[in-house]
Formats: sequence, C-alpha cells, structure tokens
Amino acid sequence: MLLKINHIAKIEGHTGFMASVLKGEVKDARFEVQEGIRLIEGILIGRHYKDMPVVAQRICGICPVVHNLTSIKAIENALDVKVSHETVLLRKVLGHAQFIHSHALHLFFLSLADFLDIENDLKLVEQYPQEAKMALRIRDYGMALVKIIGGRVVHPLTNEVGGFKKVPTLLEIQELIKQGEKVMEDVLNLAEFFRGIKLPDFKRKTEYVCLKTKGEYAIYEGDLVSNKGLHIQVSKFEENFHELNRPREIIKRVETDGKTSYMVGAIARVNNQSEKLSHKAEGYLKGLGIKFPDFNPFHNILYQMVEVIHCAEDSVKILRNLAHMNLQNAITKPYEIKEGSAAAAVEAPRGTLYYFVDIDTKGYIKNVNIITPTAQFLAHLEDDIKAFIPGILDNSEKDREKKMRAFIRAYDPCISCAVH
Amino acid sequence: MRNKKNKMSEEIKTSIKKPKVAIVSLTSCEGCQFALLDLGERFLDLMNKVELIDFRLLEDEEDSGVDLDLVLVEGNPVTKENEKTLLAARKRSKLLVALGNCAAMGGIPEIKNYQQGASTIKHIYKYIQGIDNPEIKEIDNFVKVDFVFPGCPITAEEFLQYIPLLLAGIELPDGRQVPKIPDQPVCVECKKKGNRCLLLDKKPCFGPMIQGGCDAVCPSSRMMCQGCRGLRPTGNVKAMRAALKNFMTDEEFENTTEIYGLRDDIEEREKNL
Repeated sequence: MLLKINHIAKIEGHTGFMASVLKGEVKDARFEVQEGIRLIEGILIGRHYKDMPVVAQRICGICPVVHNLTSIKAIENALDVKVSHETVLLRKVLGHAQFIHSHALHLFFLSLADFLDIENDLKLVEQYPQEAKMALRIRDYGMALVKIIGGRVVHPLTNEVGGFKKVPTLLEIQELIKQGEKVMEDVLNLAEFFRGIKLPDFKRKTEYVCLKTKGEYAIYEGDLVSNKGLHIQVSKFEENFHELNRPREIIKRVETDGKTSYMVGAIARVNNQSEKLSHKAEGYLKGLGIKFPDFNPFHNILYQMVEVIHCAEDSVKILRNLAHMNLQNAITKPYEIKEGSAAAAVEAPRGTLYYFVDIDTKGYIKNVNIITPTAQFLAHLEDDIKAFIPGILDNSEKDREKKMRAFIRAYDPCISCAVH
Repeated sequence: MRNKKNKMSEEIKTSIKKPKVAIVSLTSCEGCQFALLDLGERFLDLMNKVELIDFRLLEDEEDSGVDLDLVLVEGNPVTKENEKTLLAARKRSKLLVALGNCAAMGGIPEIKNYQQGASTIKHIYKYIQGIDNPEIKEIDNFVKVDFVFPGCPITAEEFLQYIPLLLAGIELPDGRQVPKIPDQPVCVECKKKGNRCLLLDKKPCFGPMIQGGCDAVCPSSRMMCQGCRGLRPTGNVKAMRAALKNFMTDEEFENTTEIYGLRDDIEEREKNL
C-alpha cells in the first residue's frame, strides 16, 4: 500500500510525503521536497562578510531574525569582535520576539485547525474569534519588538557585526514594556485554551538536542547538550552531527555520530531545561501534568505555548533592564578585519540553528556552512511517522491523510530553511 | 422559509460578486506572504472581501482550478514544477501580479548568475545530477506581468493601497487597466521622515535612482538603500555612479547591485543611454 500526500499545505515551503506499507509494516517513509534550490551558501562564497547577514536571513521569511543573529555571531567569532552587554541584551529580545511571533503563528494558524477538524483558517477565525484575536495580539507584540529594535519585521535591518546601526529610544523601550505587560493576559488566556485541546497519544523514545547555558533558558547562546549525555561546545558541532548528501536529493538530512536521528525545537528545549523557564511558564507547564521525559511529538505545540509565555515574560524583564542602560553603547564601534573562521549557534523557533564561516584577510568569505533545524529533524520526523502509521492503518484513506498532515505540521517544519 | 431562501440567494450573490484571488508561491523565502500575514486583522479583512481560491499558507482545501481575477506570484521559477505552476497561473487569471523582488527582479538567488557556471552548486552538493539548477530569470521572461509589487520584502501598506485599485480595474471594459506606482526616488520619503542623508554623511546609498514607496525603511535604520525595489523609470544611473565614486569602488558598486538582481537592469539602462 502506498500512502501519498502530494503537497502539504500550511507549512513553510513546499513538500510532499510518501510511505509504502507492506503487510502492516512501514517499509519506507520519506519527504519529497518540492522546493527549488537557491544555493545560499554557494552565493555567499567570494562575497564580503557584510553581505552575509543580508543574504542569509533571506533563507526564511518567517524566521529571518535567527538567521541574522546566527550569521552575525559566527562572523564576530571569526573576526574576534567583542560586543557590548547592551548589544547582547537587545539581541536576546530579538530572539525572544522571533519565538513569540513564529510560535503564535504556528500554534494558532498552522496547527490548531488540525485538532478541531477545520480545513481553512478563515473558517477557524470565524469559529474562534476571541482566540484568533488573542493570537494576533500576541503576534503583534512579537512583531513590535522586531520592528522597533530590528527596524523591520521581515528581514530586519539594524543588527550588524559589532553591534547596532541604530538603537531604540527610551520612549520606544517604555512603550514596548507596556505592550508586553498588557499582552501577558492574552498569552495566559490562549495558553488556557490550548490546555483544553485534545492532542493524539503517541510516544517514541528519542534524543533531544538543544543549547544549554548557566543561569537562563538558553536561546541566544550556550553549549550543545542532549538528554543522552551529550555536552559539547558549538565549535564541535560538525564533529558530532553529520550532513548526508544523497544523489538526487536537495535536502541534506542530519544524523548523530552514532548514525541515529534526533529531535530539536521546543519539545527538545523544554525536556532538557524546563527548570530554567520563567515563573509563569513553569507554572503553566506544571499545570499540564505531563511526566518528563515526554516523548509525544504532538506536545511540541504545547511546548511552543510554554515558550511563548516564557519569552513574553522574560522579554519584559530584559526590556526593564535596558530602560536603565545607555543604549548608545550598543552602537557599532570600529573594529579590525582579519582572517579567521568560526562557528555559532542560536536556538531558532524550530531548533538549533548552526552557522560556520571562514573569512580571508580582506573580509571576503572563503567558506560557509548553514545547518538548519528542519534539516536536523527531518530524518527524525520520518522515523517517527514510520512508527505512527501502523496505528492509523485501519482508518479511512481520508482520515489517514488528515492524521499524517497533522503529525507533520505539529513538527512545524520549514522547508525553505531546510533546502536554502 | 422564504427568509432563509432570500438569505441564501443573498449569500450566493455576494460570493459571485467577490473577485477570485489566489496567492501562489514559487521557490522563495515566502517573506512577502508573511509581510501580508503580519498585517493581522487588516489582511483578514481584505481577504474577506475577495474569494480566496488558493493560499496554501492558510488552507488545506484543494484548489478547484476555477478562473481567477487576480493571481499574486511570489518567488523564482527554479524547478520545472515551478515553471508549470507559473504558466498555469497566467492561463487561468485575468491579472497576474509579481509579489516582491524575486519574482520581479530575480532577487537573492540571481546572484549565482554572476558567478562562474556550475561552481556555485558544487560548493553545496556532491551529486548534482538530476537537480534543477537553471539560470535565474524574472517571471516576466515566462509570462506577461500586469503589475509589480516591488521590494524585498514587499511593502504591506502599498499592497493594501493597490489591491483594491487592481481589483476595481477588472471591471473596466478592456479589463486590463492597472494602476501605476508614482516615479519618485526613495529620497522623497527619507527626507519626509527627517533622516540624515547617508550620502551627505559620505556613506553609500542607492536611494536617488531607486523606486520609492517603501517608506525609506532601510535608510531610516541607517542601512544604505541597496535597490531592492528596482530602478525608477527616470532613475539616473550615470549621476548615481558619479555621486558614489568617492566612497565606493566600481567593484563594490557592481557587487552591491547583485544582491537584489539590480545589476542586469542597470547594465540594460546604461546600454540604452
């Protein structure tokens, strides 16, 4: 039996899915990516490093902020450029903002309809107008943060190697604090609504990988850790995780040193570092009554909700600190261009985003590698769905397809990122 | 009963009247679609005034394949499938509109056209057989384009302003009357916002030769205009080159014009001088 989905809507980018089943056993399950190649790494080689954040963030229109942050951090590591505390804090708020608006979009507009049996989001908005408005206001807060600090929501402008070209005024920071305090009510109400959504039961033990650091829930920086005892510096990423380039495939799947698939993203982060969540996020998580470790991939959606609470609460806290600082310290200061190579990683909404860059004496890029979250979890998603299919084989064809779509969307894949 | 019937025919009437619109995405970052979604309620309100036939970012329903009044196309035709989608979109729609820099000017992926042949792909893939890797071409090389929303990404406010005009144009006798974005440089809005001029600060900026309408979003963040909205009809490339001579080498100028697919347009403009 062949299970085939020609095109999966409501995810970022284009892909189909195919699985073959023989006598109740899944022989093969794989994505058929329909994205064209843009060769982002290839077009960066030979260009000046200053073009890199501009070009690389255009890998993805939904999470440009994290491509911007990670490329800039990699270049700063390569050139040995140090940035101010104020710069780091502004960037952390940008990272939080990216989580808030990307997660809110996925939670409500891309994934929710699957669990309410609705096929069109305009209908979803009609049936749940209050919740839709909450989700939109939450997104508005995330977007306001990126717009004010980054200069624009899709493809931000101000952040650069060494700091910022322009910083927000104190008045703007105060306005954002007010908006953040106000939106908390929406965040908690939407979280309550999601608590009532019935998610399918499915479990498969696995390895969860994410960044981890002292004293905070790691998003902007940290070492790579896993629930299986991995703990390495980001510079050792490519020694422990390997990209697979197979003939006729434009997507490079990633596997661990032990040739296994692994999971990244909200579910990995909450499993590995829930004790570092903000007060309200931790409270909500405890109230869900889930036993850890949690191996149900559908819960990724709930953990995205947990992270929206965390990022909303923590962003206000950081902004309050920034309100007492001299933001002019975040303006880029002159630095020296020299030869160097380095890696960097940031937690993107969908998981760990990794960049490597090698720069020559004049500032031109000799080599670059970008490994995105979706490329990392694609093999894992295929393994998961292989285990999921036997449980739905007796359902009607239409229902089977629906369930598979819901499963895939719960992962929140971004195919544009995965192919780039 | 009668009331119900009336209500039904009323509903049918409004749905017949609503123009049929689709948003189609080729290979791209989908940032232009997100610029629209990010309008939130204002976008949903606009979409309620049309019949949205296909928008894969928001709906699972299969496209019924009916004729369209307006189709918005984002991205580059990179795969053969992309090309088919583009041709099919043109065939079924009265108006075809380019949504953003990739569709209109080739965008970031066009950079590879200026590099050496197959070297770009060889940096990334060991096996290149069977992978579509065509030279990047703007969509007007494949189909007639009636209107362009320029920019990387598009300016959402401009979208809200021009979509009603485009849809109203459908009702005109010739069915083809489309509005025009006024020919003015980025500098007009930049000055209005009270920004310090980057050029006067001896920093490069393409603002004077580039089509305005973006609210000067880049120079407002002290980022030079790199020309994502394209040359304006009366943009003076020669004067621009002369003005930039002191703070940008020719090579830096060429390199920067490659980012948003501006370089081939400049070469063409200079050839016709």
